[in-house]
Amino acid sequence: MSLAIPNGLDNSNDRPGQRAPLVLGDTNYHSITEAVCKIAEQPPSRAWVIGFLVAVHLATMLGLCIAYLIYTGVGVWGNRAPIFWGWPIVNFVFWVGIGHAGTLISAILYLFRQEWRTSINRTAEAMTIFAVVCAGTFPGIHVGRAWLAFWLAPYPSLNLWMWPQFRSPLLWDVFAVSTYATVSLLFWYMGMVPDLATFRDRSKNPFRRAIYGVLALGWSGSSRHWMRYEKAYALLAAFAAPLVLSVHTIVSFDFAVSQVPGWHTTIFPPYFVAGAIFSGFAMVITLMVPARTIFNIEKLITIRHLENMCKIILTTGLIVGLAYGTEFFIAWYGQVPEEKFAFINRAFGPYWWAYWTMIACNVISPNIFWSKKARTTPWIMFVVSIFVNIGMWFERFVITITSLSRDYLPSAWAYFSPTWVDWCMLIGSFGLFFTLFLLFCRLMPIVNMAETKATLAKELHMAHADHSHEGDH
Amino acid sequence: MTESQPTPQTVKDDQKVHGVVAEFTDVDSLLAACRRVRDAGYTKADAFTPFPVHGIDTALGIKPTVLPWIALAAGLTGTTIALVMQTWMNGIDYQYIISGKPFISLPAFIPVTFELTILLASFGTFFGMWALNGLPKFSNPMFTSPRFDRATDDTFFLFLDAKDARFDEAGAKALLSELGGEFVEPVVEDETSKVIPKGLLIGLATIIFLSFIPALAVLRMRVTKSGSPRFHIFPDMDFSPSKDAQQTTTLFADGRAMRPDVPGTVRRGDLDWDVNFKTGIDMEQLATIDAPRAAQLVALQDDVAVDEDDEVAEADAASEESAPAADETGDNTPWLTQNPLELSDEVLARGQQQFNIYCSVCHGMNGRGNGLVNRRAQKILATTWTPPSNMHDPTLYADVYPDGKLFSTITNGIRKMPGYASQIKAKDRWAVVAYVRALQASQNASLEDVPEGKRSEIEKEQADVQAQLKAAEEATADSAEESSEASSDENSEASSDENNE
Repeated sequence: MSLAIPNGLDNSNDRPGQRAPLVLGDTNYHSITEAVCKIAEQPPSRAWVIGFLVAVHLATMLGLCIAYLIYTGVGVWGNRAPIFWGWPIVNFVFWVGIGHAGTLISAILYLFRQEWRTSINRTAEAMTIFAVVCAGTFPGIHVGRAWLAFWLAPYPSLNLWMWPQFRSPLLWDVFAVSTYATVSLLFWYMGMVPDLATFRDRSKNPFRRAIYGVLALGWSGSSRHWMRYEKAYALLAAFAAPLVLSVHTIVSFDFAVSQVPGWHTTIFPPYFVAGAIFSGFAMVITLMVPARTIFNIEKLITIRHLENMCKIILTTGLIVGLAYGTEFFIAWYGQVPEEKFAFINRAFGPYWWAYWTMIACNVISPNIFWSKKARTTPWIMFVVSIFVNIGMWFERFVITITSLSRDYLPSAWAYFSPTWVDWCMLIGSFGLFFTLFLLFCRLMPIVNMAETKATLAKELHMAHADHSHEGDH
Repeated sequence: MTESQPTPQTVKDDQKVHGVVAEFTDVDSLLAACRRVRDAGYTKADAFTPFPVHGIDTALGIKPTVLPWIALAAGLTGTTIALVMQTWMNGIDYQYIISGKPFISLPAFIPVTFELTILLASFGTFFGMWALNGLPKFSNPMFTSPRFDRATDDTFFLFLDAKDARFDEAGAKALLSELGGEFVEPVVEDETSKVIPKGLLIGLATIIFLSFIPALAVLRMRVTKSGSPRFHIFPDMDFSPSKDAQQTTTLFADGRAMRPDVPGTVRRGDLDWDVNFKTGIDMEQLATIDAPRAAQLVALQDDVAVDEDDEVAEADAASEESAPAADETGDNTPWLTQNPLELSDEVLARGQQQFNIYCSVCHGMNGRGNGLVNRRAQKILATTWTPPSNMHDPTLYADVYPDGKLFSTITNGIRKMPGYASQIKAKDRWAVVAYVRALQASQNASLEDVPEGKRSEIEKEQADVQAQLKAAEEATADSAEESSEASSDENSEASSDENNE
């Protein structure tokens, strides 16, 4: 039942006429179950415990900062006239962008029948959910009186006697992000139910069995169920795919629908979506490279998976670079003086350091992936993915801050300086993200076992067919 | 591949058989078996697999699902809800103008419409799928077999349902064995008690009951009154750090939270350097006669500009003391003799209006000093009452009592009369002066003063009034004896006025 492996754990060599296997090692269905379930069943490793403690502390810091902010008011941030859309919006757009890769992997690659997605989609989807949680925090507290954020919802209020403004892109955001979070959660959970049933059936502890039993909803693996389940999965993927594109498009409308030079551009929707996918894939690599080693799932999340993601990073990185160039070109070609100034100011104004950090990280660093060696060496990927994350955070910083700090009236120009609360919240949001992610790693199936087994079944079937074909000669 | 094999279940006679199940270890043999079962005429057969096996629905003869239609219906519902909601809320019920955008703006409504369509379609898909699958359903006869735990791991099961028309236990077992199934065994109905344990029910009931308490407490608080201040979970800017009047502060050396105006502050629109206009005195002349008084008056006027309320009172007090004294000792003040306002119908009308509001209560509408206050005071305070002046007394004519002095009297008051500086603006006081002059002229005028063309008109009016008065007098005589003295007074007064003319 095992497959021959050409180069140890490296399955990145494509042999003409034959696809490299996606599942490596002396693998069968049961060993996939073992490999994945073991992560949640064994006591946590030291690396996990240390990472979790650090993350929880940072998340607590975020919680304390939020409490301080709510008690004192948004004045504790560095947002001052004219830069009222400061740090929190930068963080919001950054985190929403991170989320995109998850849905992209699970929905768009699913629709394209890209089977290499099967072993990474679960983690990527989880990453989406947690990134959206982090993202949602910021606009929630950015409204000033966070306890009244529910006024954004169109409900018949007896106190207000008014409705939200549906012609405002900020309200579109509310709908876009909450729909995105909800649909991603459904998609993630639905994909997990068969694996939760596996967890349930393996549990010896009655308490665990009861918890996973409830979560698995009584899944039995019936073919009739599978048939509807697959249809539902395909439908959800079909809904989620345009949703991914719409969410960041609408987030970009927050900027593009305004009149601020540097924001009021039609390139924003595609440019934001490409950037989101770019940063999201980088975050998937940031998470996967250590996780596959720590949890011993190198045979499931193979070099080939990582290499494919590196190719996507390279592609989207080039798209992002093209977008930067196009922005400059249009600013010159459009001959609007404020627009022209906005872009020259980005590159050579007071925030030149942010701009060139962004260029170095987003445009230059991914080009290392032209080299096959870099695409197949985990530590290089890891380093580049960190660069991309930094670069994409700076991209949002550059867009948000530079345009606001110097728009039409030189008398209203100002320089933005973050406060310690800004810094602690940014770092704390990473704490929240990693806390949730590490909990997920311990408690949930981090690899989609059912789909990986289906992939393996297909490979076994093909290997068998190949073999019998050879036998014919 | 498989380790220790649990022994097959034995079926007791009283247990109802749910069906027969067999195990397969690979996909291909399962698919082959499924096809054979379908061809044998079984319609309720089912396979249990750890992952979706492609082609198994045709192999088992499973019909396609209606799920896509549910999703479509749910999605269209979302579209409709979104469009109707936005049109109603922003287009009809609560319209507000934002940079000239139309109230019903379809392009602006598209993002939310799109999102709600996706959301509801996803809900339809997700919940529709579970509902069609009959899940969640935590009890399943299959779960009674310990071997079945591997259905979610690595083993494939083919199940023939007892409800199938073709089913008979022995035949089904034989068929499955023939197809290569291992561990062919019957599945019995799950006969574990369906009664929910009492403890669980009580626990649930308690939790539900307790969960109502906070909501009920909030509801109660909303409808009852309390003497204690409300809870402030969120400060909500209700407590502003700004100080109230009369509070102290450590911010300023004098400890006062209220800050006095910076010396020299003049309220917007109040900058007025014309002291003559404000006092009715020719200050340059006064300065030559009585420099200290002039300086004092100028200083007072400045203060009035600085802080009106307080200083006006002081100014009043100061001039009230000096004014009567000067009156008695022979006034040498260089009063303005000319009204600084340019006379016009408008000014006179304004003066009349102000006079009728503020002066007529004592001085009477005609200025003869017999207003309502005077009449009442004559009755109740006859001994102490100083009657108001008759404006038509010659001592009050412009040649004896200059305009400036009249202005000053209105401003600062005289005898029983308070100063009206705080009620009547300086400009209006001058208008009153102008009106008083007009009143004086009118009360002592003869028909010759009237322009030729209008005399006949006046005469006619006079005759009408006389006739009316006569009729009124007769009516009064006819009616009760005690017709009010006041009204008859006024009548006689009015008639005497007419006579004067």
